[in-house]
Amino acid sequence: MEKLNDLRFIIGMFFGLAGAMLFVLSFFTDGGKEFGRSLNHFAGAGMLVFGIFMLWLSKRSE
Amino acid sequence: MRLELHLADYAIIVMYFIFVIAVGWIIKRQVKSSNDFLMSGRSVPLWITSLAFISANLGAQEVIGMSASGAKYGIMTSHFYWVGAIPAMIFLGVLMMPFYYGSQARSVPEYLKLRFDEKTRSLNAMSFAAMTLFSSGISMYVLARLLELILGWDFDVSVLLSAGIVMAYIFLGGLTSAVYNEVLQFFLIVLGIAPVVFVGLHEVGGWEGIVSKLSPEMTSSWKYMADAGDNPMGVDTWSVVMGLGLAMSFGYWCTDFLVVQRAMIARNLIDSQKTPIFAAIPKMLMPFIVIFPGLIAVALPHFVSDYAIPTGADGGPDYNMALPSLIAHYYPEGLLGVGLTALLASFMSGMAGNVTAFNTVWTFDIYQPYFVKKASDKHYLMVGKVTTVVGIIASIGVAYLAASFNNINDFLQVVFSFVNAPLFATFLLGMFWKRATGHGAFAGLLAGTLAAALVHGLTIAEGKGGWITVVHEYGSGLSHAFNMAWMSFSVNILVTILVSLMTKPRAPETLKGLVYGLTPLAHGEAKAWYLRPVPLAIVVTVGCLILNLIFA
Repeated sequence: MEKLNDLRFIIGMFFGLAGAMLFVLSFFTDGGKEFGRSLNHFAGAGMLVFGIFMLWLSKRSE
Repeated sequence: MRLELHLADYAIIVMYFIFVIAVGWIIKRQVKSSNDFLMSGRSVPLWITSLAFISANLGAQEVIGMSASGAKYGIMTSHFYWVGAIPAMIFLGVLMMPFYYGSQARSVPEYLKLRFDEKTRSLNAMSFAAMTLFSSGISMYVLARLLELILGWDFDVSVLLSAGIVMAYIFLGGLTSAVYNEVLQFFLIVLGIAPVVFVGLHEVGGWEGIVSKLSPEMTSSWKYMADAGDNPMGVDTWSVVMGLGLAMSFGYWCTDFLVVQRAMIARNLIDSQKTPIFAAIPKMLMPFIVIFPGLIAVALPHFVSDYAIPTGADGGPDYNMALPSLIAHYYPEGLLGVGLTALLASFMSGMAGNVTAFNTVWTFDIYQPYFVKKASDKHYLMVGKVTTVVGIIASIGVAYLAASFNNINDFLQVVFSFVNAPLFATFLLGMFWKRATGHGAFAGLLAGTLAAALVHGLTIAEGKGGWITVVHEYGSGLSHAFNMAWMSFSVNILVTILVSLMTKPRAPETLKGLVYGLTPLAHGEAKAWYLRPVPLAIVVTVGCLILNLIFA
């Protein structure tokens, strides 16, 4: 429960989940947009990395 | 323009709603007193107060409005950042926070009470409380209209949903919950909009591509300002520097409790000073996130055939749709959900900032001094919570009022500008001139507000103003507002000085901690230079100057 109080953990969880969702989605659809697949791929990867970084910061502060 | 959402988009939006309410629920356990609920127990870490400081201002007006201005006026919009924000944020951190924080005031109006008197506090508290409610309601109205336009969502459902979510997380966790969510919203807005900028710049060939296709006035921030008629904004150097850069900017960033509150909840004085200075670093870079989409939207039709800014009711480009239309143009399902959530976050962040500032000012500056002076802390905690609910309900009322009367937004913006324009003069003299008196401050505030109204009544721009008679016409509404601001600021300074010199000053020993010269100033405990407020402020100032020069 104490971990949940850490904002870095909350931000890390949100962007980790959202990033993973976009990254996986990029393998299945381009949404009919020219840059669709690349955008989901790289934005998803970027959010995932950011999320993991925030989780690492949170873990490090324990 | 109508967007079609898919399952992945809804999943992101729902996940965001779950997270923001969960933040409130998690924080709820820590809220045991009115100080916890309304002041976060003055225990929030520096990185959070800094990001919350700019996020509280990162509302709809900034995200949608600045991209619209970028499309309409070009890179000159950056004046709202590199002239109209950074210098004031640095001034607040270095010179004003020692008085706000050091005086132990719980709010900006309370500082006025300590420094001047009750009537000056009341005037500021009442006008501020009214303005926050109207701002929150108008934010709600614009959000609901946008969702109606681009998603086809029902207006009533959007209003009630956004209000319900903001109310839930503030009611549960108070200011801490709002501040935590503001930080989440900040990252969401930046990461949700940044892909538009990357892919847009890629398609138009970078900044050079924009410069090659747009007129030089759209891509130079200072070059065409010698005469107001030479640039799309219709402003000259004097009005930008004195009106926007001094009166309006310092009036907002240094005295508006909505933003100053984020610095006042830092753990100690040095952190409260560093809050606006650290915040100035991402703030300085925000034009690349919020103004560049507007420039890209104007340049893109020169490079591709399947994009144009949507047209408005008058047949011309609807610049407010510049950012939403780019999101619709580029984003596939999934990222579209992130982009829309970023827009939702910007509205909710603005709304929550206003509500948390309102409940603090109402409880500490209106309810406590005028209704129940001495009661238990539990009582004031309850008042803070009830005020949150009442504030949200009143905001909903304003949203419907705005929906019923088209001109009410314009009218309120004008009235707010009358009140805000002279405000900084009162604080400037209060903090740096010990001779300033309560009667002087009150008279100066009233005279400054009346001067703003008088200038508006005697001058006209874009068909607005001139309701007394027209003695001068300004080239644009912005020029009108900037000039009105520095004139009312000057009147406030003059009247405050004159009346103060005619009235009895307070004894110097009663002004300790409130006025420069009578307050020991902290110079920073940190050993590393980059962790001390003044050197940090110098670095940020240099960075701001460089940005001004690059885009001059």
